[in-house]
Amino acid sequence: MSLLDEAAVERAAAGKALRLPRVPHRGRVGEVRSSSVGSSLELHDFRLYQPGDDLRQLDWNAVARTGELVLRVRQDEVSPRVEVVVDASRSMGLTDAKAARTREVALLACVLALRAGLEPVVVTVGATAHRATGHRTREVLQRLELDGREGFDAALRRAPALMPCGLRLWVTDLLFEASADVLAERMTRGASGLAVIQVLDPEDVDPEGGLGARLTDTESGEVLERILTAGVLADYQSRLEAHLQLWRQATRRVRATLVIANAGDEIEGLARGPLSSLWEAA
Amino acid sequence: MGGRLSFGFPLGFLALAAFAPLIAAYFLRRRQKPRQVSALFLWRSPSQRAQAGPRLERFSREASLALELLAIGVAALFLADLRCGKDVPQKHLVVVVDGGLSLSAKGVADQVRAAVAKLAKDEGASALTLIESGVKPSVLAGPQLNTARALALLEAWRPSQPSHDVSAALLMARELSSVRGGRIWFFTDGPLPEGLVLPPEVRVQSVATAAENVAFLTAQRHDSGGVAAVTVRVANFTKSRRKIPVTFSAAPSEQVQTVELDPGTSAVVRVGLKTAATIRVSVPDDALSEDSAIELLAAPTPPLSVGALEGVDSGALKRFFAIAPGLVTTPPHALLFGPPGSKAQVTLGATPGLKSFVGPFFTQKGDPLLDDVELAGVVWTAGTNPPGRPLVTAGEAVLIAEEEDGTLHLNLDLPRSNIQRTTAWPVLLGNLVQRARLRAPGLPRRHLMLGEDVPVVTEGGAKWSLKGPDGRDRPVLGAGPVLLPALPTPGRWALLKDGKELDALVVLPLDPRESDLRTRGPFLHEATADAGTLTTGLSRPRPLWPIALLLLLLLADFWLTAREGRPVVAR
Repeated sequence: MSLLDEAAVERAAAGKALRLPRVPHRGRVGEVRSSSVGSSLELHDFRLYQPGDDLRQLDWNAVARTGELVLRVRQDEVSPRVEVVVDASRSMGLTDAKAARTREVALLACVLALRAGLEPVVVTVGATAHRATGHRTREVLQRLELDGREGFDAALRRAPALMPCGLRLWVTDLLFEASADVLAERMTRGASGLAVIQVLDPEDVDPEGGLGARLTDTESGEVLERILTAGVLADYQSRLEAHLQLWRQATRRVRATLVIANAGDEIEGLARGPLSSLWEAA
Repeated sequence: MGGRLSFGFPLGFLALAAFAPLIAAYFLRRRQKPRQVSALFLWRSPSQRAQAGPRLERFSREASLALELLAIGVAALFLADLRCGKDVPQKHLVVVVDGGLSLSAKGVADQVRAAVAKLAKDEGASALTLIESGVKPSVLAGPQLNTARALALLEAWRPSQPSHDVSAALLMARELSSVRGGRIWFFTDGPLPEGLVLPPEVRVQSVATAAENVAFLTAQRHDSGGVAAVTVRVANFTKSRRKIPVTFSAAPSEQVQTVELDPGTSAVVRVGLKTAATIRVSVPDDALSEDSAIELLAAPTPPLSVGALEGVDSGALKRFFAIAPGLVTTPPHALLFGPPGSKAQVTLGATPGLKSFVGPFFTQKGDPLLDDVELAGVVWTAGTNPPGRPLVTAGEAVLIAEEEDGTLHLNLDLPRSNIQRTTAWPVLLGNLVQRARLRAPGLPRRHLMLGEDVPVVTEGGAKWSLKGPDGRDRPVLGAGPVLLPALPTPGRWALLKDGKELDALVVLPLDPRESDLRTRGPFLHEATADAGTLTTGLSRPRPLWPIALLLLLLLADFWLTAREGRPVVAR
């Protein structure tokens, strides 16, 4: 069974375009206004001439009015960078469905970015970190190994440096012990926009009960033996809800978007449903 | 004692077998397929830590399992009837000792004591019930008395019972046995009587040996005119012909008479001693001292005051009063004759309507008043029938009648009768005097054999008791002639009226069957039933602390289990 249904991703991407943040971006020269000063026709500011400035940008009318060498500063037009950071820890591969949805969600973001003429960058953080751009992102996602044995926050320390002023999409399950506020601030630092796509398996959300279980952490290998009574399950869900609530508050604080993708659903359904806030009609 | 521990029902430890299914159940639950989870920390309660050690180590840390194992252990302790300290059940022996006089033979009682002590030691008994057999079995020590105290009480045991059936004692032992069918030890000194059916759980042990004995079998004394006539029967229970000197001593005089007896024979010895003191009669001491020396109290005929009221033909009466021994005429009169209609104890005379009878006379059989009264040839002239129960009748006439209050009516017209000239007259009057004597307060008999019932005459309005050789008072209840059961020990017994001695008797330690020691000897009769040593029943109820602890453990287990389902407050 393939863990990446590219056809389904293509169908899900049909008629959609990434919803970009309204603040200026940075990236290659393109159609999106950049936060950097450039040569587009959009006036950005005025300042006094400094040696080495382009004399063509002098505002002669202002010079005539003020007698000062006033330089017209224009805003660059850029193609925004879209960075998709994928949590490649073992928990993302808890089930085949969760592994597939992780890859498909990341690929969907890349596909939409490419269609919009943006430059997608995929950063995977697992046992090893990889970075790919453009069309190579598809290849990276196809070969993605979900083999990280530590929490996402710890694995991020080995990740390649993220570029500023890009749109960031994080694909993770957020099921690790870390300070949500600190990590959210770190994830959004330098980015013009942040969206967190939390991929959760149905077993994560609503675990099945039973007489007893030897619970093994997929990443650390730690074991906990519990009798899965209704009370134990209720306890788990209560803690999960508290954990998610922490992340909701943390992402809201950094003005990020948090959406939950249930791995039990197909990618097309997710694109139409829970993830719809991330894009708009093309 | 305080550190002792015992289990009243060791089979209760079978409950520990529940460990196996409980542990198996835990292992079965553990055998659930391992489950991968994304975030183990969400499964842990704040106090829990992930455990990744060896299975057995993790298993041993399971608090719930530990509590349940502990609960099973406590339940097993309860079922096994755990007892410690003073609650420890005592090993209890029920022992019957033969109370027969023959066990007073030299050394026999000590052998019984030693045998009982050895038995208690060998069996490790901590409690004893000692029963002495006898006409009425009695508990010497117990029930379930501490062994040391019971053996101390056995030291004071003096067997002095007449020959008796031991069945009652064995039955009592079975009743006092705390375990049905538990073993009973019976210590005696000789062969068991023919026809005795022993319960199957009884083990009989005889500790005595055959011995030769010369004994008194009976003894009597009658005092009259200052002379004491003593009659004793001496028996030779030896294997050879013996010359036996019998000594009669009453300070300061002493008489010795020698009799020669073949083995197993007896002879009567009679002497007359001018004394009113107690006479000691003895033969040389031998194996059984008790029956070799006896003391006989003075037994004079007590004086009786008699009289006659006016209107009674007293000639025939006075002639009798003059010749009958022990009669005085000084008031107050214990026996008073009066005419019909008077308040006298005996009315003598006939009212008009006289009629003479020559027979046949019908008498009330068995009435002591008519003992040896021969009415053949008697002409009895009687008048109107007197009230009361007829004792002698002739045709329709009642000749002698007795009322409920003891008043006797002699419906007899002496001048017209001839009874006063026959032997019937003094016999009848003698019986009347004897009846009057027997109704006087005191002890009608001064010498009793072992096991004989005791006749006592009391009167109302006073406190009566018998004081025994041991100095203890035993109350005598009832007024008038009372027949008391046999006194328990030989010796002198005093009858007290309001604390003052009124009369006395002596119980003679004589019993021919107990004195013959030739057939005694050691033997052993094992119990036929496979009975175990007795243990005390649950003299104290089972301790409830294990149940309380069990409930506590179950509650703790429930709390521990329920706590796992308690909602966790979000941080």
